[in-house]
Amino acid sequence: MIKKALLVGIISLQTIAFAQLTVGVESNSQWYIDDDEIKLGEVEGEDRLRTNSYIKTDYKINDFTVGAQVELYETKALLNYSPDLQGINLGTYYVNYANKENGLDVTVGHFYEQFGSGLALRTWEDRQIGILNSLMGGKVKYNYKDYLDVVALYGKQRIGLGFDLADSSVYGTDLNIDLSKVLGMENKELTVGGSFVSRNQSTDNPNLTPTTNMISSRIGFGKGNFSISAEYVLKSKDKYYGLIQSDKQFDGNAALLNLSYSKKGIGFNATIRRLENFRYFSERDLANNTFNVGILHYVPALTKQFDYSLTNIYVYQAQSKLVIDESTASINKSGEIGGQLDFFYTFPKGSKIGGKNGMNLNVNYSLWRRLKTDYNYQGFDYKAAFLDSDETYYTDLSAEIKKKWSQNVRSNIVYVYQKYNRKLVEDAENATFINAHTLVADNTILFGSNKAIRFELQHMWADTYFKNWAAGLVEFFFNRNLSMYIQENYNYGNEGNDLFTAPLHYYNAGVVYTKNATRVQASYGRQRGGLHCVGGVCRYVPENSGLSLGIVTNF
Amino acid sequence: MKKVCNLAFLLISLTIFSQEIPEISLKKLDGTTFNTKVLNDSIQKPIVVSFWATWCIPCINELSAIHENIEDWKSEAQFDFYAISTDDARSSKKAKALVDGKGWEYIVLLDDNQDFKRALNIANIPYLLIIKNGKIIHKSQGYTPGKEEEILQILKDNQ
Repeated sequence: MIKKALLVGIISLQTIAFAQLTVGVESNSQWYIDDDEIKLGEVEGEDRLRTNSYIKTDYKINDFTVGAQVELYETKALLNYSPDLQGINLGTYYVNYANKENGLDVTVGHFYEQFGSGLALRTWEDRQIGILNSLMGGKVKYNYKDYLDVVALYGKQRIGLGFDLADSSVYGTDLNIDLSKVLGMENKELTVGGSFVSRNQSTDNPNLTPTTNMISSRIGFGKGNFSISAEYVLKSKDKYYGLIQSDKQFDGNAALLNLSYSKKGIGFNATIRRLENFRYFSERDLANNTFNVGILHYVPALTKQFDYSLTNIYVYQAQSKLVIDESTASINKSGEIGGQLDFFYTFPKGSKIGGKNGMNLNVNYSLWRRLKTDYNYQGFDYKAAFLDSDETYYTDLSAEIKKKWSQNVRSNIVYVYQKYNRKLVEDAENATFINAHTLVADNTILFGSNKAIRFELQHMWADTYFKNWAAGLVEFFFNRNLSMYIQENYNYGNEGNDLFTAPLHYYNAGVVYTKNATRVQASYGRQRGGLHCVGGVCRYVPENSGLSLGIVTNF
Repeated sequence: MKKVCNLAFLLISLTIFSQEIPEISLKKLDGTTFNTKVLNDSIQKPIVVSFWATWCIPCINELSAIHENIEDWKSEAQFDFYAISTDDARSSKKAKALVDGKGWEYIVLLDDNQDFKRALNIANIPYLLIIKNGKIIHKSQGYTPGKEEEILQILKDNQ
């Protein structure tokens, strides 16, 4: 009897021992306080204290994981998040079984998935830009001997809080085979893959097909320092999403090619992409929402992602839209074609340029143009050229140098040239090209065992629109845990411009406390209005000022 | 005797299994598959796991600072270093060119839909973990200049 009790006790204790609980907390709060120059609109100004908070809990027991994310938006979500995010509710919940030995990975509930590069299907979470587009349903992944991966899924897309789902069904399947392993190729990598995704939304309109499908095929090859990969995606007929109401359906496509060569000390990467009428939503009516709700795939802008405040003013967004409208003929479009080159190089230690500590160089160039297109307004139709283009959407050229001057002093020097076609990218008929040159010097000096000061100087010379900016930042690290910063972005060049009446200071000061996995940040100041982008997906934020508090931790 | 055995077994299972790294399938830079279960399997030697992205300046600063001293570190401590790129499809293809261009010798894995980052409940990068015997012994968020010294000390203390 005692033996039995002991056995039961041990088994139950073991269950506890095998189980583990992890919790992640993130909370971003804002108290919007108007000042002399920056004021919120009347409607937005009604709720001045707002928070977006997320608590995610995962409980793992043997091969099973059960998890849920509770979300809180009070009194409302932060400015310009979807108004459907309000109050406290479950955001996501799931049960997962995963076992590497038998290769199975099964999820019931909310899940995230990406097929290939995401052109055919991607669901993901990016809280900063309000993307919470998981599918709710079931997903089965199966891996066989490290060379075959199969995924099958079904679900309805989350478009609000946890129980608020899109009025459509999404089915998808994906296959990846590592052929080099199957064929026993040595020193080479050859992979092939394909996906099929179907969105089914019933409709009373006899002119619309309920399903819109994505068919993707992929190939990748690598040998030694060289690699190449390509993906082609065909989208079946879908409703016209422009402002003109039409039942006419159009298909679309995307082609992506990547080439890369690298060895120690030198890296080169080139990407070419062509998009034609390539947008995909879980509900037809969500096509033109500004909150990134209902997005079913990922079409990022393939340009360098900058991380300094002034380099982020003119941000390109992939142009995959189809617009056929005689009244706005100059801004009609059917897609984009272009590419991006990246070059990374290390001047070795001891070389003439590298000096004692070596130096890193990164050069990036991108060019994106509008597909040359013939429009037939009477027949409401279009024909896009395959390679021909007629106007530049965006181009940039940047060079970045990372240099360690001595044991305690290091710098990042960045130069960026951007040419931004505001007329076509922002659909602003009377706007023009903006030419902007930006220089950034970001320097860190260490002193003592754990103190440091970082100061950042930036200037942008731009010929129109916001015109010139100057920016500065000083950050002081008192020790490993505590830092303070003060920052100013000064848009001094806008004076006399018909868009703006006076130069504007965007100042901000804050304190950051970090210990292990916990980070607390408090700041006061002004935030520039405009697009805030992560991974090429952007969220528009109106100009605002006030106090903000951010807390992140996990345990 | 049996009781002692059972107790020992219980204690072993507690230490080994209580802080497991989730098993997620990631890609290596050459496109082949890597399961994070491997990070639990290493015994004795500590493993450093750093979450970064090509566009994240503090992440690059942290990995560059460690890279500069890695030869000295290797002579003072034994460890494996994994750099998990959370770049999504926009920039994940650049990761290899950047890593080679900077001459980094980390084992680089791609977490391009952030499945691994999400499973560990990580909100922001840079984020660094140290694992020993399948157990997380250190977590830290953000990069402050000079933090690398603290990392080296933890590695030395866990040999």
